[in-house]
This record gives sequence, structure tokens and C-alpha cells, in this order.
Amino acid sequence: MRRILLITTLLCGAAFPAMSAGNGKNSAASAGGSFTGATANLAPGDAPGQWTRQSRDYANTRYSPLTQINKQNISRLRIAWTFSDGQMYGHEGAPLVVGDTMYLVTPFPNIAYALDLSKAGAPIKWVFQPNPDPRAMGEACCDKVLRGWAYADGKLIYNLLDDHTVAVDAQTGKEVWRVKLDDVTNGTTMTQSAFTVGDKVYVGSSGGELGTNGWFQALDVKDGHTVWKAFTNGPDEGMLIGPGFKPFYAWMVGKDLGVSTWPGEMWKQGASAPWGFVSYDPDRNEIYYGTSNPGPRTPSQRPGLNLWSSAVFARDANTGAAKWAYQFTPHDEWDYDGINENVLIEIPWKGARRKVMVHFNRNGFAYTIDRITGEVLVANQFGHQNWASKVDLSTGMPVVNDAAHPIVEKKVENICPPDIGVKNWNPSAFSPRTGLLYAGIFNTCMDLTNHIVKYIPGSPYDGMEMVRKAGPGGNWGEFIAWDPVAGKRVWSLKEDMMTWSGVVVTGSDLVFYGTLDGWFRAVDARSGKVLWSQKVGSAIMSQPIAFLGPDKREYIAVYTGVGGGASVNRRVNGFPPGGNTLYVFSVDGAGIGSGTTQLRTDAKVGAPLSVPPAAAHN
Amino acid sequence: MRELVFALAFIATPALAQVTADTANPLAGKADAIEAGHALFGKMNCAGCHAYDLTGGMGPDLTDNSWQYGGKPGEIYRTIAEGTPRGMPGWKDKMTVDEIWQVVTYIQSKKQ
Repeated sequence: MRRILLITTLLCGAAFPAMSAGNGKNSAASAGGSFTGATANLAPGDAPGQWTRQSRDYANTRYSPLTQINKQNISRLRIAWTFSDGQMYGHEGAPLVVGDTMYLVTPFPNIAYALDLSKAGAPIKWVFQPNPDPRAMGEACCDKVLRGWAYADGKLIYNLLDDHTVAVDAQTGKEVWRVKLDDVTNGTTMTQSAFTVGDKVYVGSSGGELGTNGWFQALDVKDGHTVWKAFTNGPDEGMLIGPGFKPFYAWMVGKDLGVSTWPGEMWKQGASAPWGFVSYDPDRNEIYYGTSNPGPRTPSQRPGLNLWSSAVFARDANTGAAKWAYQFTPHDEWDYDGINENVLIEIPWKGARRKVMVHFNRNGFAYTIDRITGEVLVANQFGHQNWASKVDLSTGMPVVNDAAHPIVEKKVENICPPDIGVKNWNPSAFSPRTGLLYAGIFNTCMDLTNHIVKYIPGSPYDGMEMVRKAGPGGNWGEFIAWDPVAGKRVWSLKEDMMTWSGVVVTGSDLVFYGTLDGWFRAVDARSGKVLWSQKVGSAIMSQPIAFLGPDKREYIAVYTGVGGGASVNRRVNGFPPGGNTLYVFSVDGAGIGSGTTQLRTDAKVGAPLSVPPAAAHN
Repeated sequence: MRELVFALAFIATPALAQVTADTANPLAGKADAIEAGHALFGKMNCAGCHAYDLTGGMGPDLTDNSWQYGGKPGEIYRTIAEGTPRGMPGWKDKMTVDEIWQVVTYIQSKKQ
């Protein structure tokens, strides 16, 4: 396939209307102002050089205020050092930088590393090997991945594929607590990134393809005990739905809809697993997270809305009490999970400021939703889709195209997008400087044949037979800048393969993302011009970060290692072999210990509690 | 009659303990076994992991002649029956001996 790398500044077009001319913002934006007037609360307000949570802030902006690396020196960005962890499954998480230490956790078997950034070669401070149950490997739908890890109260806290959450002393690497939250033999795994606020860590289950019964929990950071637990289907009581639950749209109001919108007791295998990122609004003390597709994936077996699959929840962070919910894709027929990140921002809206969330859904619509009420303000197409003509803002319901309905034992051709969506879990970023969001997205379609399936515990409850293919134009991926107020693209870059990368945007208006064919790029956040690209050893389908080292130098870091859902592209020419290397970049590749002398790794940090495994665990 | 059929099936096809890596597939190449194995591949959710065209997804590709646990009929049988250390569940409690051989026969018919 020929390399496609075209900047498309979209001045007009029916599918993706661009900003209207004459609104006065374009000129201000090109001069360094905001395109939209959108802002964000960057709490908890960590020091600029730190990266202590996957999303950097509660709002999930993934915005770094650092400016040392900028448009003037970006062409000199070089590799400073690398670190290989030996595990060959997909690498999806972001490194954390807390003080002078970097924390990494591998895919299964979920080995944690602490690296000392203050010494030459960033030597290993400690290794923690939790040895999770290998049976979990056979229950993970989409590779044996982990999408992130958290830091709180001196502990590194993360989920194990075998349904445990573990906390490790961040100084010593010694296990502090480990709690069992489910049983892998029923198909439940944990791949979600734990999210911490104060004394709680929020975790969710995975298993949307295995007929699981999804749940979300708040654990106590001190000892891991469950503070509250909310199921994502079933009776109101188990879902922590009470009098304070006020969905904006009438069709989501009623008693026990998590039961009555399913046939019989099918809600018990209705999945709706909340495996994505969590956001937190400190002013309202509310958390926000989404739920997966319903089970089984064959929709004719489960007539009804199938609440609360493919939805987003707002909950009280202390009690878990549901405040509102919104189902993006009622009676989901195509595996359009609602788990993608919710980026919390404030926007100018009809003369006032509104607290909203922005959500790029698998179904191809980008939603700007009032996060106090659950009202959808904007729902516009951000990539190629043909399953719905629009989202009706008066009802919040999509208007489904007749040709998109799957049929059992009959091939329905050219439904866009396929199950993987127009965008998957890979998180976007928001810049308060430009007022835009930046996201890696897909341009894909499928020929779909559905099959009737039966529930067998611990096996896929699926039924979708798909032939996935590139959408119009032949490019599988794109990278876009998005105006969340107007609901329009500002610029886009085409990529050969699905752009399955997270994003970081910096205070110098640089956007970093990677590609499945192994390019790491820096792009001008205002124009979309590619300013720098570096080939790395495997795919980038993780989350880049920016941080300051102990030497006060700015670094950009990103994990490489193909796997996960990206294997959809495995038969495309140029698809890379597996990998497991963290790349750390700086201007001229400079860093602690770099130079022309004979350098050695200073690892005089005492005897380790355990040693790195000599070989991959696969 | 039912008991008799079962007894005959038992005699015709060795029980798991007797299946070794070198055991020949008693149903090899039989069209009705391939058809029955095809149906079971969907019915028992094998396709959910290995894909309806057997080229893999959640689980490995079964058409590429690369076998982690051996590609001889007896080895494939034992893998299905016992499961694997890397997470494939065992099916000996959910499928009969004949059914497992039917699936083996179907898989063998799809080898490239």
C-alpha cells in the first residue's frame, strides 16, 4: 500500500462540515488563540513535569503544559533511551512519572517495573511479578492487555487480567494488598486502567464478548476493600439507581429498566462491561464512565433497548449513586461499545458556559453532552459511518438506516463502521490553548453475517462473522482535530492503518501520536502539519506522555508493541511484528548520562525483591 | 437402543485416556463428520475465538499449519478435550468423544 500522508484542511463538505467562515475564531486561532473558547479544569494540578495518572488530570485532557520541546527544536527530537520489558502482547498503557521514578506495567503477566530516572540508563529500582492465573489468557477477548495503571497514597495500583486489583508499595515494590473481584472462568477479565481520586480507586470489569455481568467498583486505596459496587445491568438496586437518578430523556426513565429492556433474564449475560477510562469532576464530586456492547452480539436474540449497554453513567464518587445515564446506541446491533473516554471541558454555548463531556463513540458520532443533566448538545459524525443518518437531538436517539440491520445467516455488505468502531478505547487529548480535541480514528467497514449463539460460561457469546475492510479512500486510519462546540473537524491526516494511538498535546501546541506501522509523529496542533516522524520497532497503540526528568529536561515517552484489537490489520502489508519497548525522546537525545564516555548502568539500589524474568512469558 | 448406539460409539472411538498424539482420526476425511464438525464449531462457540473462517482472533489461526500444542489429529483432539495452559478451556465435559473427533475432522479439512 502506498504511503498516505495527506493533510486535509477541510473547508467544506457535507459529511464533515468545517468551521464556518467569518466566525472570527479562525484568525484568532491561527494567531495563537482558541478555536472554540473551550477550557478545562486541569485538577488535581500536578507539577507540570509530572505524569501521575494515565490521563494526567481528572478531566482526561492528556494536556501537558510543558514547552521546552517546541516547533523550533522538534526536528532535533531523538531517542534518549529505551527499555524493553520482554512481554509480547499489546502494550496499551502510559508510563507514570512520580517524582524521579517511572512506573511501567506489562501486559499479562502484568509485571510492574519502577525505573530510576535520576541515574544513567534509568536502571530498574524494583520489579513486581504478581503471577496472575494463566487461565485468564483464554478469556480476554482482545489480547492480554492492560490499558493503564494508577498511583495513589504511595502505591502503584493496577488490575490483573485474572480479576484481581493489586497495590504495590511504590518505594519498595512490595505487595501491599490484592483483592479478588470476580472469577475468570465465567469470562470476566480485567484490562481496564484503574483510576484514583482521593482515598478511592475505581475499577471496572471486561468481558463484553463473553456474556459476563458487568460491574464497576470503588475500592479503598488503603486496603482494597469494596466501598461500593454498581452492576451495569439488572435491577435498580444492584445498579445503585435510586431517587436521585434523572436521565435527561424520557425513554431512559422507569423502574428496573436494566431488567425490563431485555428478554427474560438475558440481562444476566448482557455484558455492558465498563472497561474504559474514568473521568472525575471535583466540583461536582462525580465520576463518569461508559459501558460496553450488550451480549450476545447477535441483536435478534435480545429484542429491546438492552439498557444499560453502550451507555455512559454519571455517579456520585463517594456513594456510587447514579445521577444520570445516556445510551448512545440503543439495542446495539454492531458492537458499538460506549466505553471510550469522556473528556470534561467547559464550552461557550448560546451565550453561557456549559460544563460538558466530549465523547468520540465507536458508532462514529462525537457527542458533546451537558454533564450536569445528560442532555446531548452536539452529536455529529467525526469519521465514516453509514449505520445512522443522524442523532435526533430532541430525543437523543440515533436514526438508524434500514440497510444497516444485520440478518441472521445472511451477509449484509458494507456496514460502516465494523465492531471496532470509528474510534476505539485509545484516548483523545484536549488542548485548552486551541480549544480542540485530537483523536486517532479508523476508516473501516464490514460485511456482516450474524449467527445465533448460545451461552456457554467462559466462552464467547458473540455471533458476528465479519469481513472488515478499509472505508472510502482505502486508508484504514486518520488523525483528526475536532471542534467540540461546532461539532466539526478542523484538520485531518490520513494513515495507512487504523490510528489506534492515544494522544498527548503540549503547551507548545505540539500533538504526539503513533501509528500501527510504527511511526511516532509530532504535529502542529493548529495546522495539522507533520513536523517530525520517527520509526520505532513495533506498532504504537499506547498512550504517549510528556514529562520533566530530574535534570529538568523535557522528555516524550511512548510504549511500542502491537496487539489488542489492532490485529484486525494484521494482514495489511507493513503490519509489524510484536514488540515491548518504551522509547524516551529528548532534544538531541540528551539526558542523564548521555555523552561520549563509557557509560554504565548505575544500579546500586540494594538487592531487588525479585528479578526481571529472563524470557518472555508467552 | 440409545444405550446400544452409545456403546457402539464408545467402541468405535477411543476415550480420552486412550487418545495419544499418534492416535489416528477415526473419522478422517468423512464428509458427514466434516459437516457435523462445522456445525459444532459454531454451536460450541469455537468460532468466537478462532473465527468463523478459522483464521483466528481471540484464539490462534487454525489454518496456518503452525500448532502450539501439536498439529497431529491426536494432538488436536487432546488440545480440545483438555484445554491448554494458556487459557483455552477443556471441552471433554461438554462434548462427546465423537463430537470432538468431528471438530478435529473439520479443522483438518481447513488446513492450508
